[in-house]
Amino acid sequence: MVILNLTAKSNNKLLIHRDMKPITLLENSIDIILTPQFYTFIREELELNFSYQAKQIAGSLFDDYLDPNIEYQYHVYKCNNLWCFFAYNIDEIDTFLESIGIEKHRVSKIYFAQQLDTILEEPLLLNEKNILQTVDDVVTIIPKQLMDPNLEYKSLDTSMLSLKGGVTMGSSLNSFISLKETIILSTLFCLLGGVFIVEGGRIKSSIAKEDAQLSQLLDENPRYTSSISRQSILEKYEPINKHERAKRDAIKKISKLLSNQSQLKLLHIEKNKITATISTKNQNINKQVKEHARSKKFKVSGSSLDVKVEKTL
Amino acid sequence: MNLMTLQRYKNELILLLALLFMLGAFFYKLSANTYVSENKSFIQKQIFEIMRIEKYKKQWASKGMANKVKVFKSIVPASKVKLYKKKSSKIKLAYVDLSANELNKISNKLLNTPIQIVSLNIKESANNKFTMECSCKW
Repeated sequence: MVILNLTAKSNNKLLIHRDMKPITLLENSIDIILTPQFYTFIREELELNFSYQAKQIAGSLFDDYLDPNIEYQYHVYKCNNLWCFFAYNIDEIDTFLESIGIEKHRVSKIYFAQQLDTILEEPLLLNEKNILQTVDDVVTIIPKQLMDPNLEYKSLDTSMLSLKGGVTMGSSLNSFISLKETIILSTLFCLLGGVFIVEGGRIKSSIAKEDAQLSQLLDENPRYTSSISRQSILEKYEPINKHERAKRDAIKKISKLLSNQSQLKLLHIEKNKITATISTKNQNINKQVKEHARSKKFKVSGSSLDVKVEKTL
Repeated sequence: MNLMTLQRYKNELILLLALLFMLGAFFYKLSANTYVSENKSFIQKQIFEIMRIEKYKKQWASKGMANKVKVFKSIVPASKVKLYKKKSSKIKLAYVDLSANELNKISNKLLNTPIQIVSLNIKESANNKFTMECSCKW
């Protein structure tokens, strides 16, 4: 087991390989470096410009090398003029980490031993059975028994080493919802949200005109701000308006009862009562005047040729 | 919740945020709807009341009425004006010996002038001759 200490700001790095001893009392987050036991590596020369393009074709590159029944995750970066592809199974790594006492939430980033290819030009002893060494620019696990028994292994000091890229543990795990679905649904929700906001604004602005008119009226007449004051003024003027209109209407109706054959003798208005006496020339006219007066909702009385009409306003 | 868990569920988080945004916008629209339905009729009622007050005041409490009523003094020959008494915002009128035409003229003027008729008495004093007494205010 090799623990690499980097700068104080970086997490401790742990080289992960089979047969390593369990870890105890791990309190801080760590980065892990996977040995080839946990990933499959391919290096290709491709006419691609961006890593997302490379990642899109990663699955097909590994078709002949990986078990189709297992779900793999892919990591790609550009190494010199080539593209370096990694396929790994995050569940397998997760299970292994748990078996050696590393909780998955402690793992910050995952790196690949391939990223140490220049450093591993010299063999690194992993355990009594295996060593790790770069062979033809590929970091490889080699059985120790194949090595020269007198070979001295150097310890790996990566205190000055900084690894770039890497994969976060969380992003390697699959979400319940795919990225495509997320984009479609999020766009839909945002569009709907936008529509609701626009609609809400439109609804609110629908009373802006009335609001502005009211503000203007209240600015011109501040004493009308109080509803009590308004009611008080209305209570004063409404009866006046009603009664004065009724008086004028009644007088006009009485005037329509007058003619050459029916003349006004008396008209009296007092408070809310109007009374008129109309003299008629004969009984026929008298009858007609009375009928007209009744049709105009007047109370009709009178004897001989005089017709008395009255109405309470 | 650590960074890894956030990464793990980032799609769900993005979706949740978008959903919350949509729900927030929906509730904003609902509140706008409620605000408008609660306030529109209230605002319109206030406007209607103020405009009615303005109309009534202009009609029944016109400031230039003191001048307008002067016409009742000269509407018929002065000999027929028995009383023309204007005090503050009240006026008392009395006419005698009015012909039917003169009575109509005064009556029409009175009816078309926005003043409150407190009392009105028209009597036929002789054949086709009338007396008229009127008390008004504004």
